[in-house]
Amino acid sequence: MGTLKHIKRDRQLLLLFLPCLVFYIIFRYGPLYGLIIAFKDYNVFEGIMGSKWVGLKHFIKFFSSNDFVLLFKNTLALGFFTLIFGFPVPILLAISLNELRVKWLKKSIQTLTYLPAFLSVVIICSMVIDFLSPSTGLINKLIAALGFEKIYFLIMPEWFRTIYVSSDIWATMGYEAIIYLAAIAGINPTLYEAARVDGCSRLKSLWHITIPSLMPTILVMFILKTGSMIRIGYEKVLLLYTPTTYEVADVFSTYVYRKGLIESNYSYAAAVGMFEALVAMTMLLTANFISRKAGGKGLW
Amino acid sequence: MVGESKVNLFGIINGLLLCCIALMTVYPIIYIFSISISDTASVVQGKVTLFPKGINFDAYMEVLKDERIPRAYLNTIFYTGFGTFINLLLTSIAAYPLSRPDFIWRKYWMFGIVLTMFLNPGIIPNYLIVQGLGLTDTVWALVIPNAIWTMELIILKSFYENMSSQVREAAVIDGASEYRILFQILIPLSKPALASIGLFYFMGHWNSFFLPMIYLNDSSMYPLQVVLRDMLIFDEGGGKSLVDAAALAPQAKKNATIVLSMIPVLMIYPFVQKYFAKGVMLGSEKG
Repeated sequence: MGTLKHIKRDRQLLLLFLPCLVFYIIFRYGPLYGLIIAFKDYNVFEGIMGSKWVGLKHFIKFFSSNDFVLLFKNTLALGFFTLIFGFPVPILLAISLNELRVKWLKKSIQTLTYLPAFLSVVIICSMVIDFLSPSTGLINKLIAALGFEKIYFLIMPEWFRTIYVSSDIWATMGYEAIIYLAAIAGINPTLYEAARVDGCSRLKSLWHITIPSLMPTILVMFILKTGSMIRIGYEKVLLLYTPTTYEVADVFSTYVYRKGLIESNYSYAAAVGMFEALVAMTMLLTANFISRKAGGKGLW
Repeated sequence: MVGESKVNLFGIINGLLLCCIALMTVYPIIYIFSISISDTASVVQGKVTLFPKGINFDAYMEVLKDERIPRAYLNTIFYTGFGTFINLLLTSIAAYPLSRPDFIWRKYWMFGIVLTMFLNPGIIPNYLIVQGLGLTDTVWALVIPNAIWTMELIILKSFYENMSSQVREAAVIDGASEYRILFQILIPLSKPALASIGLFYFMGHWNSFFLPMIYLNDSSMYPLQVVLRDMLIFDEGGGKSLVDAAALAPQAKKNATIVLSMIPVLMIYPFVQKYFAKGVMLGSEKG
């Protein structure tokens, strides 16, 4: 069939598809064009095209500044700790939920643990702030009741990562457990029956059947999480950090927001954002490559 | 027999542990709620630790008198309703052609769409596009730049693909146009999938704070989340005093605000959780 004929036949479909096409061109590919300003001194009045080319000036400025090392370290640290501490939690939760034989209890606990997935980041952060407040916060009341000094958690750099990671685990464990629960539900029940006939206790069949059967899912999830490690929840950082904790809390995205939108250094911020995007893309592609090599399924 | 008792012990410990985890998850939420309806004296003296002490709704009355909250509430309802409608409409009309195996240049369209999942140029270029189109300070800035989420598009596309092609063929023989097939046959048949992805879009709009924060300057247009941030996190004056923001405004009032913003979501949550779980599963299958 000739292309023209094909177009004519699909004209209704093409018309339906048109808004989608326009959307992707403007809002997904358009910003790539806007990245040109990372190589220019962007001036609002002269526009993207009219502004002066400056080559790699902004990149060189960024790489040679102290901020670069700091941001890289912070982004990786937050991502790494979230991964190391947060990753096993939903798996353990799913496994123990599966071992719970009281149906209604299992359902209610599962429902309760993924409730935070419905709360906004603003609410979660305000709860964190509320609980850690030195005067009215419950945690500090507890600390005071035990006879210790109150801790000003949110202005102390040494506490930031702990707060970030633990609130993240609280908010996401139930939601992420869904995937593992589904994977467990997919295990062939005859395996368990056979194990029982062979005299396996429940702990043993957990060890020899459930966990090995979960391994492929765990592996893929782990690799994908590693791949997106750098894309940490900057909204949460934005809401929880203070100037005194910038040294440990500032990550690429929050820095881009501050430099670009608050201080209006569009070009410099765009250069930083572009670097972040390149690192993130490289990590994701690598992770996907490893995932496919390891015999799991990749993203595509 | 020894094996039996071991199993039971394991079961009991496991059950207790899980109950503790569930309690830890809901405890902050119950606590916030209790503070918001307890009487002022008990709150100030710090007597409330779990359940409310004495009941009064003054905090709620005060919040509702603060004109920012009701207005922000209405803004959020409007942005969420309108935004989700646009999302579902655009995702549906895009997913349908892409689900047709013989749709012209389908391979290239799909490649172009999937590619965008890896290209994320960041905040600044997106901001410049929205500003350049003159969308700043309009509802469109919150709706149009994220009108289609690629993952949800792919989910819906596979859903349409899996629907029997015979349904479509029968309709074609009856002389139905593509529009009729989509709007009168496929969309009514794909309610479960639309509910799942619609829920994600809904939550995205309801909880969105970063985009409204950067795209809206007019404070009368602020949605709930931005007002909440101003009230709860950057306290009223606008200065950052995270250290002890809670002491500056009455705790009960703050918590009443939080509860009010959570109510709609908590109300729909028991009814939508099966779609929610389904959505998570569909999403993970594709990615």
